Amino acid sequence: MTRSHAVQAVLLIVALILPMWAGPYWVHVGAIAWYYALLASSWALLAGYAGQFSFAHVAFAALGGYASALLTLHLGFPPALGVIAGVVLATIAGALIGWLVLRLSGPYLALFTLALSEIFRLMLVAEQQLTRGSLGLQVSGWFGGESDRPYYYLGLGLLVLALLLMAGLLRTRVGLFLRAIREDEGAARAAGVNTTRYKILVFVVTSGLAGLAGTYYGPFVGILTPGIVILPEMGLVIAMAVIGGIESLPGAAVGAVLVYVLSELTREYGQWRFVLLGLALILVQRFAQNGLFAVLERPLIRPAAVEAERGRG
Amino acid sequence: MAEAEFFAADGLSKHFGGISAVDDLSISLARGELVGLIGPNGSGKTTTINMVAGALRPDRGIIRLRGVAMTGSPAHVFARSGVARTFQVPRLFRRMTVLENLIVPALSNAATRRPEAERRAGEVLSFLRLEHLTRSLARALSGGQQKLLELGRALMLRPSLLLLDEPFAGVHPQLLAQIMEHISSLNADGHTIIVVDHNIDAIRSLVGRTVVMAQGRKIADGLSEEVLRDPAVIRAYTGARDAR
Repeated sequence: MTRSHAVQAVLLIVALILPMWAGPYWVHVGAIAWYYALLASSWALLAGYAGQFSFAHVAFAALGGYASALLTLHLGFPPALGVIAGVVLATIAGALIGWLVLRLSGPYLALFTLALSEIFRLMLVAEQQLTRGSLGLQVSGWFGGESDRPYYYLGLGLLVLALLLMAGLLRTRVGLFLRAIREDEGAARAAGVNTTRYKILVFVVTSGLAGLAGTYYGPFVGILTPGIVILPEMGLVIAMAVIGGIESLPGAAVGAVLVYVLSELTREYGQWRFVLLGLALILVQRFAQNGLFAVLERPLIRPAAVEAERGRG
Repeated sequence: MAEAEFFAADGLSKHFGGISAVDDLSISLARGELVGLIGPNGSGKTTTINMVAGALRPDRGIIRLRGVAMTGSPAHVFARSGVARTFQVPRLFRRMTVLENLIVPALSNAATRRPEAERRAGEVLSFLRLEHLTRSLARALSGGQQKLLELGRALMLRPSLLLLDEPFAGVHPQLLAQIMEHISSLNADGHTIIVVDHNIDAIRSLVGRTVVMAQGRKIADGLSEEVLRDPAVIRAYTGARDAR
């Protein structure tokens, strides 16, 4: 077991036993934090590993959330089937977007996905009969009772499953290819990698996970509004991933929880919270470029590589 | 002459906007040939390499490898068919280790397992005398080591046609000799190789046949000694380079 595994195990245990001491407010905060952690870690796979800077990630969450809620509401889908349908739809949309954006990279990809996300948000606002527009779509909950604990543990479970799935994917040659594409797509092609296939694949997987996050968020919060697709939400997810560590999936998840909890603690400062967030982002980029999580695992990561870098620097 | 058909580019042309980068270029190679491709800056050498490697689709012309038309296939298909290349400025996977850089091309073949890929990477590293850097990040390597690693990455494809774009540019004399030695021994092993470079002395001593390009066209093709004495070739270099 590496230090990284140990850190993750400790964090998981803390997350599991926390509701025994924490009051209902913090259980609620935790349950929302899992939504962001799912988004931030899957975005880290897309952007940090594969180098595809998409701004449409929260739109996929909304797509999954709305689709699952509407299917349950109008067609009487049972919740589990609604979730599956939401994830499948987000996955299909991810495949389409992945295919569309294949030739785009860097700022072009970011701008394209940003525009796409905004179009989707406007659709959610405009299609009032279906989505109830800005008023928001009421979503019925999955669990009875007052406590948010069931959601807390469900969200944590989904997060852990998603992290395991992504880690499993990264352990195969796919992980290697995604990093090669991030480093130099042309060189990866010259090395025989079908970059098209893997770019679509990573869009499919991460869109599906974002969709999953959305299907969880709706029933828990009880309402879905186009507000979950606004740019500041996407910015928040990016900030979470960057602060935790964009090239580490558990790192991004930890970053999400940290940022969300801190933003709750500083709620009384209103908009000034975002100034603090910006400052934190700058500090992390300056002093811990691979994110805070990397600081925890640093001593045991690829000692030879680190040595070689030191020798050169 | 079936062997002459190992590789053939026929009537390749490529325009960028109004500029003709390569114009009606034809080259054919026999299996195991080692050919130099020279020409002044802007003569279309790299565009040619990019087309032959499948990174650029020609506007006109056909590329055949072992008689099979490859024109229009994506670059990774060229790579898996055995066309491997290096770049003028090394394009490594900088934040990946030397070993990872090498196993990517091997694993791009779905039938190759990781242990097998790592074993072959070990062989390539020992051939290039880079074993001590196996676990270093590629970006930590010196310029010359990066050139070697890029050559190694190309070799991991088990290429039948190797395209080397300026392998001698910016390397110090000791390494230049080492790279020349590697190219010779790869050629002796049966690799067909095209070397693009400006270093006339290196080209002269390394390759038997030289193709010269100027302004997108082929202006000479033949035995290196004769081609490099050709007045048209010397003129193409506008006297800036003494072709002795």
